[in-house]
Amino acid sequence: MTQTPVLRIEGMTKRYGQKEVLRDASLSVNEGQLKILIGPSGGGKSTLLQCINFLVTPDAGRVWLKGEEIVRTQKKVLYEYRQKLGMIFQDFNLFDHLTALHNVTIGLVRVKGMSKQDARDKAVYELERVGLKDHISKYPAQLSGGQKQRVSIARALAMDPEVMLLDEPTSALDPELISEVLTVIENLRANGMTMVMSTHHMGFAREVADEIVFLEDGHILEVGTPDKIFLNAECDRTRAFCSKILELYGSA
Amino acid sequence: MPGVGDHVVDMTESFIAIRDALPYLLHGSMVTIGLVCGAMLLGLALGIVLAVGHVYGGQVIRSVVGVYVWFFRGVPLLVLLFLFYFGLFSFLNINLSAFTVAALVLGLISAAYQSQIFRGAILSLPEGQFKAARALGMSDRKSICYIILPQALRLSIPAWSNEYSIVLKDSAVAYALGVMEMMARAHFVASRTYEHFPLYFTAGVMFLILTYLGTRGLGFLEKKVRIPGYAR
Repeated sequence: MTQTPVLRIEGMTKRYGQKEVLRDASLSVNEGQLKILIGPSGGGKSTLLQCINFLVTPDAGRVWLKGEEIVRTQKKVLYEYRQKLGMIFQDFNLFDHLTALHNVTIGLVRVKGMSKQDARDKAVYELERVGLKDHISKYPAQLSGGQKQRVSIARALAMDPEVMLLDEPTSALDPELISEVLTVIENLRANGMTMVMSTHHMGFAREVADEIVFLEDGHILEVGTPDKIFLNAECDRTRAFCSKILELYGSA
Repeated sequence: MPGVGDHVVDMTESFIAIRDALPYLLHGSMVTIGLVCGAMLLGLALGIVLAVGHVYGGQVIRSVVGVYVWFFRGVPLLVLLFLFYFGLFSFLNINLSAFTVAALVLGLISAAYQSQIFRGAILSLPEGQFKAARALGMSDRKSICYIILPQALRLSIPAWSNEYSIVLKDSAVAYALGVMEMMARAHFVASRTYEHFPLYFTAGVMFLILTYLGTRGLGFLEKKVRIPGYAR
C-alpha cells in the first residue's frame, strides 16, 4: 500500500559561496513518523531543516506538503505553509519581550486572526500540556532552559502544525533539563505527531526514531531503521560515526 | 565704598529684569517644547521607517537611506533652516510658518540620527527572533511590527534620551528664522533692556530644566517598559 507522504522534499541544495552545505537531499516523511537526522556538526542537519520551511532559501529543491507542491515565491502560500510546520530551534528563540502566554498567543492572534480570548484559552491549554501551567505569566528571562524550550514547543503546537521540525532541541540545555524536553517530544510522538528532528542524543534516537537519516558534508549518506544504522550500517562513514559515538556514550 | 553699593543695585536690577521677563520667557518655553515634541515625533516616525529600510531593504532602498542620513547629518542646522525656509519653500511657493519649517527641519535631521539609533538596536537583536516570527507564518511586515520593533525601541530609549537633549538645544537655532522660542525672547528682551547676563542666564537655566525633565521622564519610561528578568 502506498500512502502519500505528509512531507516530501527533493533535490534540496544550498551553497554558501563556494561551500556546498547541502547537496541534493531528498526525504519523505509519512504520517506519524519520527525521522531523526544524525551526523557530525556542520554536516547540514540544521540547513536541511531550515530549507524545509524556507527560513533558509535553498538554491534548488522542491517541497510537497500532503502531495501539494509549495510555491515559495507566492508569499501567501509560503506563510500558510510555514504555519503548518512547527519549528523548534536549538536556542529556543522565544520572543524576549513577551510572557510565556503571549509567546504562544501572538501567532494565534496575529497570524491566525483568532480573538484574544480564544487565543488565551488555547495557549493556556498548550502550556498545560507541556507542564508549564504555573509559569504562563513569566518572561523568557525568568525561565530555565528546559522551560523555555517547552514554551517554544507549546508555541509551535498551538498553531496546529501538520509536521514539527526540531533542530537540536536539547543541545543548549543543561544535562538535567534534557529529559523534560525529551519527554515532551516522546509524548508528541505517542500522540501521532509527524516530526523531523536533528539531535546528538543517540540513545534517544535509537529508542524512539522510526527512521534515522545520516548526513555528512551535506549529503544524505544513509537512511534506515535505528537497528540498521547503529548495528548494520552499509556505509563506512555511518559506521565510523556511530562507533565513535558509542565509544563516547556507551551503549546507544 | 561706592563700588559695593553699585553692585547691590546691579543685583537687584538683575532680579527685577528676570522677574519682569519670566512670563514672557515661560511662554517661549512652550514654543520650545512644541518645536522639540514636533521634531522628535517626526524624527521617531521617519527614523523607524529609515532604520527598517536600512536593515531590511534592498540595495536601492539602502542607498536612498544612506544618502538621506549623509545629507542631514552633514549639513549644518542653520544652513538647512535657511535652505528650507528661504530657499525650498519660497521656490515651491509653499507658505509655511517659521515655526513649522523649524520643527520640520529639526525633525528631518533628528530622523537621520534616530534612524541610526534604531538600526543599531535592530541589529543588536538575535537573528533568531526574526526567524522564529517567520517560522510562525508571519509576514516580514508583521515580524517587524510585533517582534522586532517592540524590542528594538526598548533598547533605544537611552540613546533616544540623548537625542532629545540634542534636539532641545538645537531648537534654539530656530531663533534665526524669527521663531519666538526661549532664546529669541531672551535676546529680544536683552537687546532692549541691556540686561544681557540675567536674561541669557535665565534662558540657560530653563533649557537645563527642560533637559532634566525630559531625560528623567524617559528614564522613568525605560524602567517602566523594562522586560522582567532581562539582563541589561
